[in-house]
Amino acid sequence: TVFSWKKEEFRNCNQTPFCKRARSRKPNSCNLIATHVSISDGDLKAFLVPKIQENQEEIQENQESEKREELSSKPLILSLSVYSDGILRLKIDEDPSLDPPKKRFEVPDVIEFEFFEKKLWLDSVDEKDGLNVVYLNSEYEVVLRNDPFEILVRGKDGRNVLSLNSHGLFDFEQLRVKKEGEDWEERWKGHTDRRPYGPQSISFDVSFYDVSFVYGIPEHATSLALKPTRGPGVEDSEPYRLFNLDVFEYLHESPFGLYGSIPFMLGHGTRGTSGFFWLNAAEMQIDVLKEGWDAESSIALPSGQSRIDTFWMSEAGIVDAFFFVGPGPKDVVRQYTSVTGTSALPQLFATGYHQCRWNYRDEEDVQNVDSKFDEHDIPYDVLWLDIEHTDGKKYFTWDRVLFPNPEDMQKSLAAKGRKMVTIVDPHIKRDNSYHIHKEATEKGYYVKDANGNDYDGWCWPGSSSYIDMVNPEIRSWWGDKFSYQEYVGSTPSLYIWNDMNEPSVFNGPEISMPRDALHYGNVEHRELHNAYGYYFHMATSGGLVKRENGNDRPFVLSRAFFPGSQRYGAVWTGDNTAEWEQLRVSVPMVLTLGLTGLSFSGADVGGFFGNPEPELLLRWYQVGAYYPFFRGHAHHDTKRREPWLFGERKTELIREAIHIRYMLLPYFYTLFREANVSGTPVVRPLWMEFPSDEGTFGTDEAFMVGNSILVQGIYTEGAKQVSVYLPGGQSWYDLRTGTAYTGGVTHKLEVSEEAIPAFQRAGTIIPRKDRFRRSSKQMENDPYTLVIALNSSREAEGELYVDDGKSFAFEQGAYIHRRFVFSNGKLTSLDLAPAALGKRQSVTDCTVERIILLGHSSGHKGALVEPSNQKAEVEDGPLMLRPGRSPSVPTIRKPGVRITDDWTIKIL
Amino acid sequence: SSSINLLGVSPQDLSYFSGGSSVIKCRDGSKKFDKAKINDDFCDCPGDGTDEPGTSACPNGKFYCGNAGHVPVILYSSRVNDGICDCCDGSDEYDGKIKCSNTCWEAGKMARDRLKNKIKTYNEGVSLRRKEIEQSKLAAAKDEAELSKLKNEEKILKGLVQQLQDRKEQIEKAEEKERVQKENERLQKEKEDKEKKDLEDKESDNNAQDTGYTGGQTTESTDDEHIGVLEDSPPIQDVTVHGKPVDELPHSDDHGEPQSSSKGEEHTAMEEASAVASEPGIETGGKGDGPSDETESLSKEELGRIVGSRWTGKKSDQESVEADSAADDEYHEEQTKNTQDEEYNSYESDTEDEHSTYDDDEAEDHVEDLEEDANEATSSSYKYESDDDTDFTDISGRSNPSWLQKIQRTVRNILQAVNLFKTPVDKSEAARVRKEYDELNAKLSKIQSRVSSLTQKVKHDFGSEKEFYSLYGQCLEMKQNKYVYKVCPFKQASQDEGHSSTRLGSWDKFEDSYRIMRFSNGEKCWNGPDRSLTVRLRCGLKNEISDVDEPSRCEYEALLSTPVLCREERLKELQDKLDLMNKEQPQGRDEL
Repeated sequence: TVFSWKKEEFRNCNQTPFCKRARSRKPNSCNLIATHVSISDGDLKAFLVPKIQENQEEIQENQESEKREELSSKPLILSLSVYSDGILRLKIDEDPSLDPPKKRFEVPDVIEFEFFEKKLWLDSVDEKDGLNVVYLNSEYEVVLRNDPFEILVRGKDGRNVLSLNSHGLFDFEQLRVKKEGEDWEERWKGHTDRRPYGPQSISFDVSFYDVSFVYGIPEHATSLALKPTRGPGVEDSEPYRLFNLDVFEYLHESPFGLYGSIPFMLGHGTRGTSGFFWLNAAEMQIDVLKEGWDAESSIALPSGQSRIDTFWMSEAGIVDAFFFVGPGPKDVVRQYTSVTGTSALPQLFATGYHQCRWNYRDEEDVQNVDSKFDEHDIPYDVLWLDIEHTDGKKYFTWDRVLFPNPEDMQKSLAAKGRKMVTIVDPHIKRDNSYHIHKEATEKGYYVKDANGNDYDGWCWPGSSSYIDMVNPEIRSWWGDKFSYQEYVGSTPSLYIWNDMNEPSVFNGPEISMPRDALHYGNVEHRELHNAYGYYFHMATSGGLVKRENGNDRPFVLSRAFFPGSQRYGAVWTGDNTAEWEQLRVSVPMVLTLGLTGLSFSGADVGGFFGNPEPELLLRWYQVGAYYPFFRGHAHHDTKRREPWLFGERKTELIREAIHIRYMLLPYFYTLFREANVSGTPVVRPLWMEFPSDEGTFGTDEAFMVGNSILVQGIYTEGAKQVSVYLPGGQSWYDLRTGTAYTGGVTHKLEVSEEAIPAFQRAGTIIPRKDRFRRSSKQMENDPYTLVIALNSSREAEGELYVDDGKSFAFEQGAYIHRRFVFSNGKLTSLDLAPAALGKRQSVTDCTVERIILLGHSSGHKGALVEPSNQKAEVEDGPLMLRPGRSPSVPTIRKPGVRITDDWTIKIL
Repeated sequence: SSSINLLGVSPQDLSYFSGGSSVIKCRDGSKKFDKAKINDDFCDCPGDGTDEPGTSACPNGKFYCGNAGHVPVILYSSRVNDGICDCCDGSDEYDGKIKCSNTCWEAGKMARDRLKNKIKTYNEGVSLRRKEIEQSKLAAAKDEAELSKLKNEEKILKGLVQQLQDRKEQIEKAEEKERVQKENERLQKEKEDKEKKDLEDKESDNNAQDTGYTGGQTTESTDDEHIGVLEDSPPIQDVTVHGKPVDELPHSDDHGEPQSSSKGEEHTAMEEASAVASEPGIETGGKGDGPSDETESLSKEELGRIVGSRWTGKKSDQESVEADSAADDEYHEEQTKNTQDEEYNSYESDTEDEHSTYDDDEAEDHVEDLEEDANEATSSSYKYESDDDTDFTDISGRSNPSWLQKIQRTVRNILQAVNLFKTPVDKSEAARVRKEYDELNAKLSKIQSRVSSLTQKVKHDFGSEKEFYSLYGQCLEMKQNKYVYKVCPFKQASQDEGHSSTRLGSWDKFEDSYRIMRFSNGEKCWNGPDRSLTVRLRCGLKNEISDVDEPSRCEYEALLSTPVLCREERLKELQDKLDLMNKEQPQGRDEL
């Protein structure tokens, strides 16, 4: 395919003054020391002042130049706060009492309200030898070193976990008055950034101890374990850039910034996991430093511990950083999501298959595609309409020639339990006959340019302005636009897709908004750029909640994201390309999103640009069926690629891939609930489930779906074999054949086009629904199948979460949460939900129709069901209800138990 | 086993379950199951769902609903008890979760009415089709006859032309001899008169300059000139062949037209290419600092459009039209010019001016050739329609023998009259030979081109009964929104908007036993495939194109109704279906 990424259109570090300057700084160049350390309001507070000020006080007094230096080196205020569950928060900002030219931007509306309640009030600090030590939790403590200034989180056993400024790279450009003759402007490709407030960047080093790799900081199309960007043997690499950009035909294997930014990094090694999060919405650049990067400096750090150093640079904002001690990977993710929120629980339909294309042209097209799914017996839940459905790219309107009856269209989908999604982007057409534009103009709701006029950029509709979503009032106004009265032609089965919210501006610098554009509260766009899409997503999601008076969970897909986006909906990996390498990179991209809190994500199945070969498309469906967000999408220049267009065999196999997803929906939904409760992502790197198995640390071709299923994608054409490392000491059962494979070993497996390798881990129980319907809606009352994979001690356990799949009633306890435990030849169903709130019984009448026993001997006569005291047959049955041969495995036939009840089934 | 539940079993399958044995085999042979397990809501035959015809337990099962009053339907068993009424008799939803009313009567009536209408159409259509086939066979036979006649004429004419050519060459030889002689004499004279010669040289230089200037004129003026010639040039000579005058154009001009239009086309293609290329030029911009300058020089709006066009691929669409500058304007100018050419040569003017038939055939051949060469041909696409075979047949067919005999006689006379051995050569006789040669040669090439276009035609596959024969040379048009779609079977298809025309494809072939026409290798899409058109044929009383659609970018689809598709076998099927539907009406209800 064409190499179309326009590299020269985007700034690299050398072309970005703050990055270039920061990167050229030498270790130990920071001269700040901490003074006036005290405890105040439950926090540890200190001033950061240049060391030179203290030592040379007398000399300085008479020297004009030094005086100027002093002006720009006013003391910084540092505060350390401790929260329960081992979370340390560090803030460093200018002193507001010293009248800085402007208040630096602190990102609002990201930190969870509940998080503030978890604050632990510090009452004392131990000071000794210039080290100020405070309590973090029973096993960890925090050290503030005065000189040189350094923050260290360490275990009470003395081992370091995380530290900041251990290499003296900390730098904080304070706002100041422009000197005469000074030029603060920055020019880029014909755009001028006036930079009225001048340089204000921040940078510092962060070290992760006892880790083998660092992970996180999406969004980059690159490996899961982050490769070093500087240091011995590292070729001239850019830092990982965090700057939300609409990148046309992005490349895999690149540290370049894409649509979203989450400045959260995890370090992981055999001794544990730790995390560092910097809440900052300005452009950020992060270097992962390879061991030996600081060889020329003579600093010897307390070692005996392995370490990965990283270097963080941001153009503006403040230091508002969080340290997470783990010690396990799930602990770190839980700690991070306790700050930024866990994933919203999606409606059940949203976890099914989505069919999208730019564009389903008209109502007839929609009806045709819809009926073809039925004709080919392929389930799907949502049909999507891209920008062409609107009247001239005016969102909330319809092209009435192509879509004369949008309500009827939605209703006819809804009759089969299906939903529709339409696109609503943040660029508003500057057309005086367009009500949104008129209102936004009159109310002053647009982002302003540097002169204070409504910013006028170019996007799909042509000349456009951008709603200023940072203002809660404007978000509320925007949310009202989704009411059925205002969004004419919308019905309760219509949900929303937010695209282009980086924001994408075709004629802006780097295809985005000028950094000197102004937002509500006199905030410069540079200060919140990475959060713009987040606020837009938030506003849209809020609108959908409002539209049904808080009774319907919203579904909004966003392309741009920021920490906290997980609370508002799903994201996808943007405009990928129909290439094998892009299929491959989609897996680490989705895994990274999950690690950084965004569980509900996926890549466009088939690749957005270009035409996938049928084999690639099939492989993509096979992998995509395990993405948390499973959507096929395609650019309008591509050939149609709905599942039935590639011959009978391919149709059959794509159908099977989609069927597997639907079969596993109860399992997926349970995982979504887990993510909603604990932050643990739906799909996980192997090391999240096997944290001490070093063989998994660098793996990103295989991944875990929950704790029970391991999936290995096939990423090459015509593959006949694939090597899969199956971690842990227990066996793994092939999902389709039931064949057992030893754990802790790399297996070389034959592969056919029929499926990609997927395994159930011994010791787990997976709930399934094996009846394939038109959409998830019709599966509601279908009976369950439980697949028990016994481990070496003939035990297994698993969970099932069920609720109404759509409302917020689960928050009031209207759900079922079961734990299934198999041991001593007996399966027990236990209630995991807190004491009954009475609503539970109405959730479902579903029964269990089949219990499959993997790793269990054949020849049993039957099973006894208690408390009903009924007998059920045990026979050899198929592992999967699919055409062709399926191996026979011991199966309990129709035990007749209800999923809501407590019961036991004993194999006789 | 007396009361087994046979819900969802089709009548023809009942016997499979009704045997005496209490054990039944799964149809795929994979397993056996107890009769009591039929429809027990547990799948015992996962491969094919034999045991669960009436429940949703087997994903591969099939559910039969009788739908009395309408047609029976076989559903995927996943539709059973899924809360959606699929069978009009409601039998697929029996678990009490929803209630489906029986709508078979109304639905069945509607379906029967539709079917009756369809049968009515077919009834008429079948006889139209029969006529069509008769006519097609006649027309095909006529074309074959004409072709063989023309081939014969061609052979004779070739002989005559050859004779004349030989004679012409002899004459020329003699003349050359004379000329050399004279030249020698002249040289002698020149030597004597040097000054005079200098003067002559000067003059001829001036002349040369003049011609050079004319040759360098723009395409536009060449076109104009050419059009002028077509319109104004009077018939050079009336060739009275069969009592009707046939207007002829000078031979050289016949070639003039396609040549000039070819120039125009190449030009257009190049303009287009450069217009397209200029944009990526700005986008990619090569290396270094070059691109920045280029982007900087753009207005904000231009930049927005250009960047946006990466995703849309829309270059010449309205969204970018306004923004595009000089290069594009030129392109449009070129297009207009070509369109003018087209209009001149359009079907309407041809039919009015039946005399130009020969010339148009020839021109058409040339255009075809050119288009095969230049894939990017933008316009001049629908000249194909002028295919006035009938006229030609009328002209040449009826009075041919006398025409040919007359010519043969004339040639014989000429050949006898010219005395080769006489020097100097008789000027008037030589001129007569030349003239006759030119005329016959022109005639020959016309016949040849007619032969080749007929050969082209008859080698097409017109269906097993040549039923599509009359569609050759026809173009079907349909207006949809701002576009006019033209479909010319066996030739090409285009999408016209105002004066611009986009070639959707050239005739490729029939597919799916003559139920689909494929036009492929149309104009290339920016960032997409070559355009193509798939025409689905269906029975209708008129040849009519409808429902043009573009399901994938640049892959078009259309429906063509034609009596040709009203096949008798199908009529019978429809009749049987209606009979069946009538038979299965619930008792006590009479539709009429």
